[in-house]
Amino acid sequence: MPPLLEIRGLCTEFRQKRGVLKAVRGVDLTLEPGETLALVGESGCGKSITAASVMRLVPPPGKIVSGSVLFKGEDLLACSEEQMRKIRGNRIAMVFQDPMTSLNPVFTIGHQVAEGLRIHRGLDRGAAEREAIAILEQVGIPAPKERIRDYPHQLSGGMRQRVMIAMALSCGPELVIADEPTTALDVTIQAQILELLDRLMAETRMGLILITHNLGIVAERAQRTAIMYAGEIVESAPTPELFENPLHPYTRGLLASLPEFGTPGEKLATFAGSVPDLRGAFAGCPFRERCPVGDEGCESLPVEMKEAGPGHLVRCLKSP
Amino acid sequence: MTALLQAENLVKQFTVQGGLLAEKRILTAVAGVDLELFPGETLGLAGESGCGKSTVARLLTGLIPPSQGSIRYKGRELSAMSREELALYRKDVQMIFQDPFSSLNPRMRVGEIIGEPLAIHRMGDGAQRRERVAALLQRVGLAPDHLSRFPHEFSGGQRQRIGIARALAVSPKLIIADEPVSALDLSIQAQIINLLQEVKQDLGLCFLFITHDLSVLRHLSDRIAIMYLGRIVESGSRDGVLSRPRHPYTEALLSAIPSIDPQKRKRRVIARGELPSPLSPPSGCPFHPRCPYAEEVCGKLRPELLEKEPGHKAACHFSEKIYGAR
Repeated sequence: MPPLLEIRGLCTEFRQKRGVLKAVRGVDLTLEPGETLALVGESGCGKSITAASVMRLVPPPGKIVSGSVLFKGEDLLACSEEQMRKIRGNRIAMVFQDPMTSLNPVFTIGHQVAEGLRIHRGLDRGAAEREAIAILEQVGIPAPKERIRDYPHQLSGGMRQRVMIAMALSCGPELVIADEPTTALDVTIQAQILELLDRLMAETRMGLILITHNLGIVAERAQRTAIMYAGEIVESAPTPELFENPLHPYTRGLLASLPEFGTPGEKLATFAGSVPDLRGAFAGCPFRERCPVGDEGCESLPVEMKEAGPGHLVRCLKSP
Repeated sequence: MTALLQAENLVKQFTVQGGLLAEKRILTAVAGVDLELFPGETLGLAGESGCGKSTVARLLTGLIPPSQGSIRYKGRELSAMSREELALYRKDVQMIFQDPFSSLNPRMRVGEIIGEPLAIHRMGDGAQRRERVAALLQRVGLAPDHLSRFPHEFSGGQRQRIGIARALAVSPKLIIADEPVSALDLSIQAQIINLLQEVKQDLGLCFLFITHDLSVLRHLSDRIAIMYLGRIVESGSRDGVLSRPRHPYTEALLSAIPSIDPQKRKRRVIARGELPSPLSPPSGCPFHPRCPYAEEVCGKLRPELLEKEPGHKAACHFSEKIYGAR
């Protein structure tokens, strides 16, 4: 059986006045049913554009230039727009970071949760509404019968995020892509939302791509983790292995810089420099200028992913 | 030791217009806060959004007047200060903001931004100011040629460095930093935390550090105070509060933080429900509707913030239970 999702050699570019920005540069990812894959990286590393590419929702002037996105063996990049519309929100759903800007302020939350059911399942208004109430109840919204008449501004941040999750789950998707689903929330609410996602996944065997920069969430929730830097996956491994035995200097640096591991009052480890400009031609390892172990050898050659252990891939010439 | 800054029973209420015909309602953002800041120490103030921690910062900097209570700086009551004294207070107490994108004037060059506080407080002549600005720029790790650039030319981390340089310009005694690193990327966050730590040690500054991120707080603070719904529910030494919490909210907050270290993943105490609205706070203990330890008395009687062990205060009727549970 093919994996739930298999991304191969995905490249997405933005044509700009000042040159072509290569936001995603050859990403490979695989996800099995029931699995959580964490995609980790700092702002601008291409993690959200990777997600948008899977959904074929890259904002213009962005364009997917090569690669394939196999969803149960079917290449989404070869689908027609009409076929895509039947998949989006139905078999593949997305949860966005900011529920305030992703929910429509002029429709009730009941209308928005029921919309997918009417479109994809062909339910009539009454049936869609009953189903919406059931889903809202499932995601922990108290008194859903009354709340479906509410507009997004009448709900708290945590409740809005639950509505977003209810919308994503309404049609029983096989794959959910959650882009920073809890970043805008307080920690006590974040814990509630993550427990909810865990419970729903155990019930439905759906796959989850969790995009985040919070390494604590990653360590607790994801089976596999992929670290992204400057448009590339630089390391990927089963999560416990990645945290115990990080191989890429960027992964090591990220882990070392966490206040959680620092001694109070002492200096935290930091990187020198900043992320390279991804416009124009690009050769060699994008991390080399900030890398503590890199040398001239890293400057010219494209660095290939290599297997360092069972399921542990790393893109570094210097790693064992 | 005498406190540098002392706030007593600080209250701030705002009037909210409910709607076109709705009655005006009172929102109590800060409902009686006591704080003391001693020279050279860092006090961490933690709490979730809407708990009133930023309002406390605005009250302490004198940006808004309190509805009740007193703020004393070096023993002098803020509301009784003369214009000259107030000007001096505003020089001694500086602020660093969360969002490095909206807290810098986009029409001013970096040199002007950092030099403006010097001009306002009439410190030095033109040449001296330029010299001071150049030294500050270097202090926070920016290059001399950044002086003539505009804020939009900088990354978030660099902008936060500019904000720090601006706060340091007039040689303050106390810096109030409201979520200074939460808008930054991980690797940048560590750089700014290090910079704050450095300037604190080099200049012997007193810091009030406001954040919702307890791991950052643990790294930077000497003492910690936890706020919930406008009140301080627990305060004490860093290790006391973080390793032996005496309030159930602190316990829930600590256990909700996802941890990388599998050893630290302990029993999860999930706070039920959500933060109540400060427009209609619950009766009794403000945390009781979400509290796993709550009993009947908690809904009736609000617990006072009392010393549970030397230097460690908590506002809970059953703080022994929390202590015993670990």
